[in-house]
Amino acid sequence: MKVGLFIPCYVNAVYPQVGVASYRLLTSLGVDVDYPLEQTCCGQPMANGGFEKDALRLAERMEQLFEKYDYVVGPSASCVVFVKEHYPQLLHKSGHACLSSRIYEICEFLHDVLKVNKLDAYFPHKVSVHNSCHGLRLLHLASPSELVEPRYSVLKDLLSLVEGIEVFEPKRVDECCGFGGMFSVEEAATSVCMGQDKVRDHISTGAEYITGADSSCLMHMEGIIRREHLPIKTLHVVEILASRKQSSHL
Amino acid sequence: MSSHAKAAEKFIADRERTAWHDQALYFVREKRDRMAQGVPEWEALREMASRMKRHTISRLGYYLEMFERHATANGVHVHWAKDAEEHNRIVYEIIQKHGGKRLVKSKSMLAEECGLTPYLEARGVEAVESDLGERIMQLMGTPPSHIVLPAIHVKREEVGKVFERELNTELDNSDPTYLTHAARKSLRQNFLHADIAMTGVNFAVASSGAFVVCTNEGNADMGTSFPKVHIAIMGLEKVVPDYDALALYVRLLARSATGQPSTTYTSHYKKPVEGQEMHIVIVDNGRSDILANAAHVNMLKCLRCGSCINTCPVYRRTGGYSYSYFIPGPVGINLGMLKSPEKYAGNLSACTLCHSCSNVCPAKIDLAEQIYRWRQDLDGMHLASKEKKFIDKGLKFVMERPSLFYAAIKAGRTAEHMPRFVLYNRLDAWGIGRELPDFAPETFNALWKKGKVKE
Amino acid sequence: MSSRDDILARLQAHAITPEKRPEMDFKPLAFDNPVEQFERILKVAGANSLRLEPGQDVNDLIRTAYPEARTIASNLPGITCATVNPDLLDDPRALDGTDVAVIRGEFGVLENGMVWVKQQTRYKALFFISEALVILLDRRALVNNMHEAYARPDFDDFGYGCFIAGPSKTADIEQALVIGAHGARAVTVILE
Repeated sequence: MKVGLFIPCYVNAVYPQVGVASYRLLTSLGVDVDYPLEQTCCGQPMANGGFEKDALRLAERMEQLFEKYDYVVGPSASCVVFVKEHYPQLLHKSGHACLSSRIYEICEFLHDVLKVNKLDAYFPHKVSVHNSCHGLRLLHLASPSELVEPRYSVLKDLLSLVEGIEVFEPKRVDECCGFGGMFSVEEAATSVCMGQDKVRDHISTGAEYITGADSSCLMHMEGIIRREHLPIKTLHVVEILASRKQSSHL
Repeated sequence: MSSHAKAAEKFIADRERTAWHDQALYFVREKRDRMAQGVPEWEALREMASRMKRHTISRLGYYLEMFERHATANGVHVHWAKDAEEHNRIVYEIIQKHGGKRLVKSKSMLAEECGLTPYLEARGVEAVESDLGERIMQLMGTPPSHIVLPAIHVKREEVGKVFERELNTELDNSDPTYLTHAARKSLRQNFLHADIAMTGVNFAVASSGAFVVCTNEGNADMGTSFPKVHIAIMGLEKVVPDYDALALYVRLLARSATGQPSTTYTSHYKKPVEGQEMHIVIVDNGRSDILANAAHVNMLKCLRCGSCINTCPVYRRTGGYSYSYFIPGPVGINLGMLKSPEKYAGNLSACTLCHSCSNVCPAKIDLAEQIYRWRQDLDGMHLASKEKKFIDKGLKFVMERPSLFYAAIKAGRTAEHMPRFVLYNRLDAWGIGRELPDFAPETFNALWKKGKVKE
Repeated sequence: MSSRDDILARLQAHAITPEKRPEMDFKPLAFDNPVEQFERILKVAGANSLRLEPGQDVNDLIRTAYPEARTIASNLPGITCATVNPDLLDDPRALDGTDVAVIRGEFGVLENGMVWVKQQTRYKALFFISEALVILLDRRALVNNMHEAYARPDFDDFGYGCFIAGPSKTADIEQALVIGAHGARAVTVILE
């Protein structure tokens, strides 16, 4: 099984450690991981802003970059679901899209494909799970609070394999944090207000970290935390899943 | 800056009020969740309700004619109005024929859509709103801010002040029970002495000719109990095939709207009583055009329950008046665009694409997906925001050129701020309440090239 | 062309592909102990319920429930505690100020506490205008849900009918629940 690592633009630039943790986590599970060089962006920011057609060249490039892999795995639910849901229609004219059927968000991959039930992870901290909207309502990483269906959570399942961890969820368990791509700047006042509310909800769990499968939400909340010097930090869930007892990372 | 963003900024400036508004609506959303969880077949019910709507929409003319035939046989006068103007004229002519001067009306978003009350008042007909929330708004002289909870943005003290002035209530008494009962007493006189009653229509049953009006207060029924004329107005999408179909919607409506198992009164009007005249006005006003719009035809499934509004995290924090269309939230964003993109495109930014609306909708309307689609259409309609387009083009240019992308990161890192296209104009909005993220010393790409990832 | 024909023509011209009517593919809510469930759900709707036991006089029950009532309006035979027969009034406005109205319900719905009442009085105002409403209901006439309610063979046999679930209420001021917006401030369902 050959896995191509999909590292979204802002992870590449701002959170490379999330990529490193993804690589280490997957290889520790015996997966053959490769990173096709010179990746940039999947095109989601343009599309959500209303310029889907400007994502076309990027989609074609993504298809090309990841052509030779059995699976493509990325540490960002939002970007993955964009590729999955929108590439087929976007690439409809210029050829067939096959990436959409092979791409997985990393937690989904661990949970549903590798079916991981044991991890050597150690993280003796309290964390509050951030259920990102696209992870939840489009990628189905957990049961959304609006739906009447059996409760499940891929992230909580995986975090339960981590030694020493205490897992919490905010009171409004899946309220949007207000990032929303271009929304974050076009509706800045609302976006910040939503982010502040969300961070406070996470803080009230008593957690030391907010963790989730979307670095974009985490980046937005981190911006608020740093501005207001709030007593909580953000950490991508793969960084926790990849933490080892000797890890010097934290 | 979009019209919504501008108005939202003002609303949010009062953080305490924003938090209060958000909490009040979230409370309704939670009640809705509890109701849904109490019905194990909820998702199957939504699915069937959605498909039943699709079926009905695909035979709208057939069912409307069937409804008309049965209603007429029941002794009801059926009228058809192409647009708001014709609707208003028909209503006024009925009132005039009976020499009506005092109309008592229950809540109708269609009346709001058609601007009926000002139309009638300009012609000397007093139109009194009888739903408490609507009455509060009428006395305050402002429109409702929500389609089910018209006064949800108003604080009890503000209601108290208005009632002091208009209903002579006690000074500084803002107790909701006291104020509600004061309105009860005052409106009782309006009910008793009105000469025309008006209601909306929640559902019109084609197989029977009956129409259903749902209220909690009993104002529709009180209103229609005394005058000799009852005028009911309905958008043409309100027709349902029969009682089996109606069962689906009655089960879903109140649970979704206010988190109650049912409304207190689910009234079924079929035949006028002796000495009374009953009229129904079936209104198009753009609805038949929605039918031709494949990407947005699902909007005709809407029950106007307001659950998408209550769950919308943007609406809860920005209030109904931040939207330029008279219906706020996800449903209003979409209906506004169907009404006039030129006028209402400014609401499209009011969405994070969190998709909660699509999950709560009892008719499973793809509300968020439609907002996404509208955004794609804006550029072609020359309505895209210039700033956003600039950002988009900048992103496209850089992202399509990997070497430029990595060079830009490098430049950003050394200059300790984002490249210019990122910082252009409104993008500095990020800094309003957030710190900008720092670029890492090395990108993942660079780490990989140097073999540092595999270490 | 009339507006009617114009609208119908537009609907025809814009028609989407006909969709088949869906079949019900789920089993709706049902309850094991109907009377207990009905009493529970009536409470949720803000209504009281009383059981009329064999040998008891319904008039005593009404009197005990509303000892202060001065005017009791009903056209039902056997309601001897009634002080007014509303059908004999020339004007429904004369009902304003009624303390208690006693009417008959056709059946109750277990999933939501609704009672189906058909206009069996000269003025339907009676259902709404009194301060309190007493609904007499056969305790064997309970259906599980709205599907069953609307499927009753005689359902469409009405000129005016209303599902009533408890007293009139509103939460239009700050979402604070207030009983008695315009209609009855109290509802008692007597299960016979």
